[in-house]
Amino acid sequence: MSHFLDRLTFFKKYEGTFSDGHGVTTNEDRSWENAYRQRWSHDKIVRSTHGVNCTGSCSWKIYVKGGIVTWETQQTDYPRTRPGLPNHEPRGCARGASYSWYLYSANRLKHPMIRGPLVRLWREARKTKSPVAAWASIVEDADKRKAYTSRRGLGGFIRVTWDEANEIVAAANAYTIKKYGPDRVAGFSPIPAMSMVSYAAGTRYLSLLGGVCLSFYDWYCDLPPASPQTWGEQTDVPESADWYNAGFLLLWGSNVPQTRTPDAHFYTEARYRGTKSVVISPDYSEAAKFGDLWLHPKQGTDSALAMAFGHVILKEFHIDRQVTYFTDYCRRYSDMPFLVRLIEKNGRYVPERLVRASDFDGGLGESNNPDWKTVAFDQSGAAVVPNGSIGFRWGEKGKWNLEEKAAGTDTPLTLSTIDSRDDVLPVAFPYFGGQHHDYFTGTDHDEVLPRHVPVRKIRLADGEVYVTTVFDLLCANYGVDRGLGGANVAQSFDDDVPYTPAWQERITGVPRSQVIATARAFAKNAEKTNGKSMVILGAGINHWYHMDMNYRGIINMLVMCGCVGQEGGGWSHYVGQEKLRPQTGWLPLAFALDWARPPRQMNATSYWYAHSDQWRYETLAVNEILSPLADKKEWSGSLIDFNVRAERMGWLPSAPQLQTNPLEVARAAEAAGKDAKDYVRDGLASGDLKLSCLDPDNPANWPRNLFVWRSNILGSSGKGHEYFLKHLLGTTHGIQGKDLGETGEQKPSDVVWHDQAPEGKLDLVVTLDFRMSTTCVYSDIVLPTASWYEKNDLNTSDMHPFIHPLSAAVDPVWESKSDWEIYKGLAKTFSAIAQEVLGKEKDVVLVPLQHDTPGELGQALGVKDWGRGETEPLPGKTMASITVVERDYPNVYARFTALGPLMTSIGNGGKGIAWKTEHEVDLIGKLNGIVGEGPAKGLPRIDTDIDATEVILSLAPETNGEVAVRAWAALGQATGRDHTHLAAAKEDEKIRYRDIQAQPKKIISSPTWSGIESEKVCYNAGYTNVHELIPWRTITGRQQLFQDHPWMTAFGEQMVVYRPPIDTKTIKPIIDTKENGHKQVVLNFITPHQKWGIHSTYTDNLLMLTLSRGGPIVWMSEIDARKADIVDNDWIEAYNANGALVARAVVSQRVPEGMVMMYHAQEKIVNMPGSEITGTRGGIHNSVTRTVLKPTHMIGGYAQQSYGFNYYGTVGSNRDEFVIVRKLSKVDWMEETAVEAV
Amino acid sequence: MASSYKLLSALLSYPTEDLQAGAAEIAGIALQTMGLSETVRRGLVGLALDLSGRDLIDSQARYVDLFDRSRSLSLHLFEHVYGESRDRGQAMVNLRQRYRDAGLDIASNELPDYLPLLLEFLSQRPEEEARQLLGDAAHVLRALRERLHERGSVYAPVFAALEELGQREPEADQLAAMRKAEIDDPSDLAALDRVWQETEVQFGPGGFGETGCPSARPAARV
Repeated sequence: MSHFLDRLTFFKKYEGTFSDGHGVTTNEDRSWENAYRQRWSHDKIVRSTHGVNCTGSCSWKIYVKGGIVTWETQQTDYPRTRPGLPNHEPRGCARGASYSWYLYSANRLKHPMIRGPLVRLWREARKTKSPVAAWASIVEDADKRKAYTSRRGLGGFIRVTWDEANEIVAAANAYTIKKYGPDRVAGFSPIPAMSMVSYAAGTRYLSLLGGVCLSFYDWYCDLPPASPQTWGEQTDVPESADWYNAGFLLLWGSNVPQTRTPDAHFYTEARYRGTKSVVISPDYSEAAKFGDLWLHPKQGTDSALAMAFGHVILKEFHIDRQVTYFTDYCRRYSDMPFLVRLIEKNGRYVPERLVRASDFDGGLGESNNPDWKTVAFDQSGAAVVPNGSIGFRWGEKGKWNLEEKAAGTDTPLTLSTIDSRDDVLPVAFPYFGGQHHDYFTGTDHDEVLPRHVPVRKIRLADGEVYVTTVFDLLCANYGVDRGLGGANVAQSFDDDVPYTPAWQERITGVPRSQVIATARAFAKNAEKTNGKSMVILGAGINHWYHMDMNYRGIINMLVMCGCVGQEGGGWSHYVGQEKLRPQTGWLPLAFALDWARPPRQMNATSYWYAHSDQWRYETLAVNEILSPLADKKEWSGSLIDFNVRAERMGWLPSAPQLQTNPLEVARAAEAAGKDAKDYVRDGLASGDLKLSCLDPDNPANWPRNLFVWRSNILGSSGKGHEYFLKHLLGTTHGIQGKDLGETGEQKPSDVVWHDQAPEGKLDLVVTLDFRMSTTCVYSDIVLPTASWYEKNDLNTSDMHPFIHPLSAAVDPVWESKSDWEIYKGLAKTFSAIAQEVLGKEKDVVLVPLQHDTPGELGQALGVKDWGRGETEPLPGKTMASITVVERDYPNVYARFTALGPLMTSIGNGGKGIAWKTEHEVDLIGKLNGIVGEGPAKGLPRIDTDIDATEVILSLAPETNGEVAVRAWAALGQATGRDHTHLAAAKEDEKIRYRDIQAQPKKIISSPTWSGIESEKVCYNAGYTNVHELIPWRTITGRQQLFQDHPWMTAFGEQMVVYRPPIDTKTIKPIIDTKENGHKQVVLNFITPHQKWGIHSTYTDNLLMLTLSRGGPIVWMSEIDARKADIVDNDWIEAYNANGALVARAVVSQRVPEGMVMMYHAQEKIVNMPGSEITGTRGGIHNSVTRTVLKPTHMIGGYAQQSYGFNYYGTVGSNRDEFVIVRKLSKVDWMEETAVEAV
Repeated sequence: MASSYKLLSALLSYPTEDLQAGAAEIAGIALQTMGLSETVRRGLVGLALDLSGRDLIDSQARYVDLFDRSRSLSLHLFEHVYGESRDRGQAMVNLRQRYRDAGLDIASNELPDYLPLLLEFLSQRPEEEARQLLGDAAHVLRALRERLHERGSVYAPVFAALEELGQREPEADQLAAMRKAEIDDPSDLAALDRVWQETEVQFGPGGFGETGCPSARPAARV
């Protein structure tokens, strides 16, 4: 019919109205809406977050329908911030929103699995043998062992029951402990903050065994050693909301919108507020768009830029004109006024070390630790011992503070000797910018630069010496002219003298005018706002071998301008530390400190370097990195020799520790009627006992069992991947280079060389994961773990002050279990099986000289190695301390599930302060219940993962106000000041697991951290140092810009300098040997964090990969692509002596000439073709890397430079590496498994 | 017919000692199964005998490599239908409801769309309903058969049998989509490229604007 006839002429539809006629009610068919109703209907919403390895810690709503997770959305119920500050929401990013995909994906691990050949051997052996005997019969037979170790990475898994998997693992652990010692069982898991109970489950199990927990922060190279060097603090940073308070934001090597997505809105809001921002990044990163100015220095030369900024700031704000705020700040909060001895060496004056009270006759009245009390001039020019240096921290009370006092009277210090100088001397400074590098431009200045410094002559116990202040040395070091004459100082910024803006142009390529403008704006803002200039710095500058120089260069700028410890100012290093806020509550649970102390903890970088035999391929000679002022003869040996010396002197930990099983050492000591401490010391001195580190390739010293959980170490974080495959795992690998035995290069002097390198040191690799990661592929046993929506746990971050739960929205799918349940089950099986060979045992444990303990006062005035006969082995002073710990192997399970007696008898503490915990133990008993019988009878129960969270929350000052007040009071004893007001208002607050499920909760201020939670300021690092006068945990108690340890001096890093990247020598031996007819180009290999994976770990999420190109990619510049005839999307191969990888080229204007970027952690399991170079499946980004250690990171027993787990130690840098890039001739897709699956 | 679903469910399950022990018997039953072609029956007998004769650990490793580790051969049907789409959760909810409506609940720790589980359900249902349900998955079953066949896998006949039982030819476009989605065949680079290629966005008649959004109606003001 026609439209005319359809239309009503006399009627209109009857419709009800509402809202005064603004709305109408109709009766149309609404069934189409059901699709939407169904889409958004659910049975319940559960609060959870995402675990491992993303610093975001965002609160998410998980929607569950019919017991199945259907999707997730961002939570929007964060507590409001104070007036004038933007709120935290929205938090969460596209990556988090795609996470639920993992739950039911085909990648999901569904069952416990073991490699077929191992199961076959096991079942055969078990027919006739008990579990431990069965394991022995397999690993003691070389052919049987090889039958499964050589199959690692090649598929062939079968499903097994939990019982069978647990039995094999427990048997292997028990066998290893009995045969070699508990320190041959190790575990690796990163970033505890992101699911702290899951982390603690594994380390609690390991610690009860006496096994080794490996650090991650240093290994990931996310630890900036400059932070412990300067502040005695691992890394403490402002929350992201504090960016908003900054007046000037410098973004340096950090890509906030891409890698800190949920926090990036604060950066945007700061821009609206009017904050100026300069972005420094060699590539045109997403952050570059935020900058008022984008500086793009050549990658790896950032410290040259930082030096030039510092030069401008010093000259214009400290010398030519003094800013009162800056001068006052530097005097009170930095080491600048402290005195340094100058000595004559080889005809030159050089800075030796900080003057100590003990240098004076009578020690300036100080009898407690005079070697560790530093000295300055008061305003009359007299030498005084100001409060706060580390000598005041131990052995006395009340003077470890930053009051301007010495010997009990008000004593303002003098910053410079220039007005009271006795003389002016030319002091020699090392210069590294002239070193040759094939791919980095240097300058032609001398390697030693004498500069004039004002000095005073004073009488010390050993005669008259010249001294000057750190400030005076600093000015000279930066090449700032103070009218003292002499060479190598600059009158103008245009002089080509290190370290002027003109000088850096050749190195970085940044125009001097931009350097001057940026430095001025930075300092000017700080002057006007009392320190609200902030630097956000990241992995881009921290992953270089000389990262300390980049970081110290930046830290110096902040200290010169009084920015550290001020709201809206300071350094914001956000790389991987993911602050575990309730740390002191978590430590006892995680390392079983409630049952036995100390735990075995090991710095992972040195561990992997030794045990994956990367040291056998070392190309960096020590004399290449020594200071030109050092005497090369005194510093012989290779990098591993330096590490071994550090272990011997108790600076760094060792794992394993002794070549002899420590259980047998304890027995032998007892049999000999000697104290274990004396027995071990004498044995080491006589050579009857040997340290394992001296012979890492000896089978007696191999690590034997390895647990990996919450990590993809063989995928995303195994620097020197191919070396892991060859030596640690003993499987197919792609190493192209030769070891020192084959090349005939200088071999290590202290470490034993075996011509035949071991292959396959590990007897057993066990990985817990919820997806089939690259690491799982290389494991012997994989155990399916609960994902982040299937378990109960806790999660905190450094980016915001809230504590979030992970909650079990649904039960673990298929056969998976939470990490807590997995390790608990393992503990149960182990307790039963271990009785075959183990009972109550005594275990001798070696512990390095630890930071925040009296052990940090090691050798004050020089380094003496007992191993080279320079001194006596003295446990706790010149070597590790020695303790005997009792293990109860048949009762590991009973101990695992109860809070042990040491919490009552000893108490708890952290970072050098201790407090009692009886009250909290009582509380936990009431919350969790009491164990009724057995060896743990009467102790609080820790049965479920929620029980475990309550242990953490009850013990930690951050979540229990009562403990916070007690902890502040304990700190007050040392400082002589009252700090309890910082938590007093929260004394009655106790945060429990169900509270944080209801809404995000802010933590309570605690002395564990240097910032505070308050309604007036944002969390900012160093705040309590500046405002509560709590010393930094360094030698002077101030921010330490001058590093006077003899090893720092030898390697030229007393003061910050520019150092070019090292030459890893991986190109020349191979570049002409593997031609395939295509042109080649040599490029610097950079591995930033990605956009299309979940942080650094998960690059197999199809939702994310769909947005990228699906498989492995590298980014390169148009110029380099042209040189090698590569066009966008070509398959390319990147290789060097370490190995090879295959990827597609993304040719982009974003990338500058000379570098190639490969996003971190692209999986071997996703679309990876074969490599022409290696003849095997292409490698991952770590295939072309190898770890190179830096000796200055091995220093220990020296105030801030003392070992702490994840605090100080060698780091796994990887950006100095170069690769050869060329087109792939043919793409060869290799089958996943060697045995054809049909 | 009911027993043939149960039989196929058993053959497609993870190989266990029980299955290995019973495989010879299953082979005998397979030979007698009604409604299947001679070729398919022979294929099933071949699989059963293979499982019976092969070392159990080898059979298990093969099963894990094929079905647990290859996304394109996943036995979770919705992996192929919904992939990483959010609809997958809802589809699982619906399927489980269907089981419950029929008076059955999942007793194992498997998901509702696990094929051996679904087949067991079908064995408990009237023939017509079973055929109907199976027919709905015809394109997935065909694609899986093709993929297994390409690999020369002894498991391919199970899917041939299912196709015969379902008695429905897959919709051409659905099958084409399944074939295109074959992403982890490591030997076919061109196929891989096609998968990751972005589709061109088109506007105008027949393009995005016309079909993607509902059209708006002007509403009279009250």
